[in-house]
Amino acid sequence: MPLLTIATFLPILAGLALMVLPDRSARIAHRVSIGATGAVFLITLAIWARGISPDGFAQVEEIAWIRAIGAAYRLGLDGLSLPLVLLTSVLFLLSAIYSARIGERAASYVVLMLMLETAALGTFMALDGLLFYVFFEVSLVGMYFMIAGWGYEDRQRAALMFFLYTLLGSLPLLLAIIGLYLGSGTFDMRAWIDAPPLTGIAAMLALIAMLFTFAVKIPAFPVHTWLPAAHVQAPTAGSVILAGVMLKFGTYGLVRFAYLMTPEAFARAGQVILAFGVVSALYGAFAALAQTDLKKMIAYTSVNHMGYVVMGVAVAALASDPRTRTIGLDGATLQMVSHGLVTGALFFLVGMLQDRAHSRGMADFGGLLGRVPWLGWAFVLSAFASLGLPGLAHFPAEFQIFLATLNGMPWGIVAILAIVVTAALYLRAIAAVFLGEANPKWADMPDLDRREKLVVVPLLILTVLVGIAPGWLIDMIHTTMTRIGG
Amino acid sequence: MGRDLALLGPELLLAGAAMLMIVAEMARAARLVLAIGLTALALSTALTLPMLDAETSVFGGTYRIDAIAGWAKLILLPGTALALLMARAEIAGRDREGSVYALIVLVTLGALMLSGAGDMMVLVIGVVLTGLGSFALVAYPRDDAATEAGMKYLVFGSVTGSVMIYGLTFWFGGAGSTLFSELGQLRGQTLVLIAGLIAVIAGLGYKAALVPFHFWAPDAYDGAPVSVAAYLSVITKAAAFFAFAQVLRDLPREAGWPVALALISAATMTYGYLAALVQTNLVRLIAYSSVAQSGYLLMGVVALGVSPIAVPAILIFAAAYVAMNLGAFAVIMVAGRSLADLEGIGRSRPWFGVAMVVFLLSLTGIPPLFGFVGKVYLFMAAVEAGFLWLAVIGILNSVLALGVYLRMVVPMYRTAEAGAPDPAGLPLATVIAATAGATLGLGVLAGMFLP
Repeated sequence: MPLLTIATFLPILAGLALMVLPDRSARIAHRVSIGATGAVFLITLAIWARGISPDGFAQVEEIAWIRAIGAAYRLGLDGLSLPLVLLTSVLFLLSAIYSARIGERAASYVVLMLMLETAALGTFMALDGLLFYVFFEVSLVGMYFMIAGWGYEDRQRAALMFFLYTLLGSLPLLLAIIGLYLGSGTFDMRAWIDAPPLTGIAAMLALIAMLFTFAVKIPAFPVHTWLPAAHVQAPTAGSVILAGVMLKFGTYGLVRFAYLMTPEAFARAGQVILAFGVVSALYGAFAALAQTDLKKMIAYTSVNHMGYVVMGVAVAALASDPRTRTIGLDGATLQMVSHGLVTGALFFLVGMLQDRAHSRGMADFGGLLGRVPWLGWAFVLSAFASLGLPGLAHFPAEFQIFLATLNGMPWGIVAILAIVVTAALYLRAIAAVFLGEANPKWADMPDLDRREKLVVVPLLILTVLVGIAPGWLIDMIHTTMTRIGG
Repeated sequence: MGRDLALLGPELLLAGAAMLMIVAEMARAARLVLAIGLTALALSTALTLPMLDAETSVFGGTYRIDAIAGWAKLILLPGTALALLMARAEIAGRDREGSVYALIVLVTLGALMLSGAGDMMVLVIGVVLTGLGSFALVAYPRDDAATEAGMKYLVFGSVTGSVMIYGLTFWFGGAGSTLFSELGQLRGQTLVLIAGLIAVIAGLGYKAALVPFHFWAPDAYDGAPVSVAAYLSVITKAAAFFAFAQVLRDLPREAGWPVALALISAATMTYGYLAALVQTNLVRLIAYSSVAQSGYLLMGVVALGVSPIAVPAILIFAAAYVAMNLGAFAVIMVAGRSLADLEGIGRSRPWFGVAMVVFLLSLTGIPPLFGFVGKVYLFMAAVEAGFLWLAVIGILNSVLALGVYLRMVVPMYRTAEAGAPDPAGLPLATVIAATAGATLGLGVLAGMFLP
């Protein structure tokens, strides 16, 4: 059974089916949405059960497409993509459940959401350069319409900025892909990885093009400016998908394309890439510290967390010891998953707070922990996870990244300062919103209802699980990274 | 002789039908005229199918029956049929209605001659046939704007056409033959080669609306009925590029003409989008956008003879362009000529809204739509021919394109005052459905069919 193909296209087919249904009421739309994302979740579990292979890609599905230029429909998985595929299916299912209260043009919203899921799964599983680019770009269109259609006050401008920025950002990748194709005569990404087709100056140009694309997507300093605007204006589920899934396109591409397909150039540019990672991590932390808008603050911590991922990959390229390389890549990949879980939860929680209070400003709240204990404690737990507390999801990832950095490129360890800043900013946020004197304005704020608990609790459980027993996840990642790093 | 005539089946059929249509128009039987036209186009398309793999020529090499000509027919004939339906939706019941259909079919005959031209004289006949018909089509409404537009188009067309004929005489002198297959004789005769080429660029570049021969396009499109503008913007333009492909693939690549064409290509796409950014009249906006699209198509011409995918690139992008541009014009016919008319159309007519978004994203070059596939081919051809810089400019221009087309998408999803819209009518709905289907689906399939 071509499970990968089914998982990828089931959402968009469900969306198309919804479009032609005679009854497109909000209730039906959300049922289709939860049904489809739930089915995809089960299918990805089956894909996980089938497992991956320590040598190369597993579960490859291939159909000839444009024979003349060696482009084909190719999907496959390894230890880098499988965790992201699982993360994607979880976050989309939870987003579908969370979104079930949206009544305004629900059918269109659901169709966009399902289209995004197809694009995300396709991006992570594509093994063909052109196909990857297709999925990568389709996600832009979906997110543009989601922000523009269901966002907050200033959504048109934020959506346009997001689209322009990321489209301009992704076009260099197309050039790099064409370059890789002309160097090899095929669009098969496996061939590009096994025998990197470009060398010398061509490889460096391709790398620069790819880095530009992925830096915008990650986003790394200084091309991160679209992110806070897009996040603040996006609807809650949109923020969750954007941060939890779509930012990973950048880091995934960084490893899958830049690191693996132009390895020599990547190693030569390693110090620069590492510097961008360090600066992003520090900049993101300090910028987050300066925010009073909760959503914006979390958006900036994404820049910080993604900066660590870039550091892990850069150190892996620079280090000579295979063990260090593997640790760096393991940490970077795990960090992608942890960030998806933790930041996903944080954006859901802020969204729930905003649904109740119609405000995101820290100063408007106070003492909410007694008022809404579920929401409060969930936020506290996620915030602790986000600042890297041992026992929670980010710790094993960041620990490995810093370990690799210390072994490979000790100067990069200055980024550890960012952890202190992150701790400070989360404590400040918790103090301002949930502790202190209760603001009487929110005296009758309701706590999380059943549906909201259903969304948040799984993420919290996973956050703890990855924190205290990351073995099941790291083993999967490690299978592939020992080969790549070794 | 018999074999030659058989190979010319699609063209002869169309010519015969056009005559019949004129006769039927004399009887003022507009519906009959339309029916003859559509039937002839369908039959002609069917006749083309078995000849797709042919690689031959008729009448002593003057007219080519090859891959370019074959696929061109498959693109131009159905495109013309859709344009006829659009015209029907716009001018049904008006005076001299049938003559528009007859002229459209005649101009398409000229377009077929352009795409099969193997000889200078056939090229000239093609240019004149498409030109004369087009002038009349533009001036059809007989009001001031249309008359002015038709006049401009006529003057511009006559001048560039004469220049082209004059320049072709240089090639005839240099090569000793009017056959394009003999153009290889020009190797080494730089001045003769350049003189003739400049003239050909003027003649065909005018039809293709390349900068700096594009000035007529926005005025002509705006003065003409929208359906005629749609028709001219796709059929005659695509035919001009097929003619470019027929002529230039035999021309020795020397004296730097590919670089000159690359510069024109870069200027055309950049200028087209910049000018489109400030338009508020939708027809003029699409007119400038189609100037920019010509710049992209020219990338394929630049790579002719070096990159084996240059010809497929031109064909695929031309097909995509015909589908998406016709579709966009059809939606404009439903909505109205001004940017403000698009306000809220995504809400009040959700299906047309979705279709318009598909057309505009495809024009921008967003995957997996047909326009994207065409652009990838064009970029690959350009890079393979050593014009990386041109591909980079093309890619950078995609960002301008996004600005141009999002200006249309954004108001579509703003809330407008709700009023039940008038039904658009079956012909337009058919056109929009067919072009949207092609734009969505053919991109994925294109690669499987082409040689």
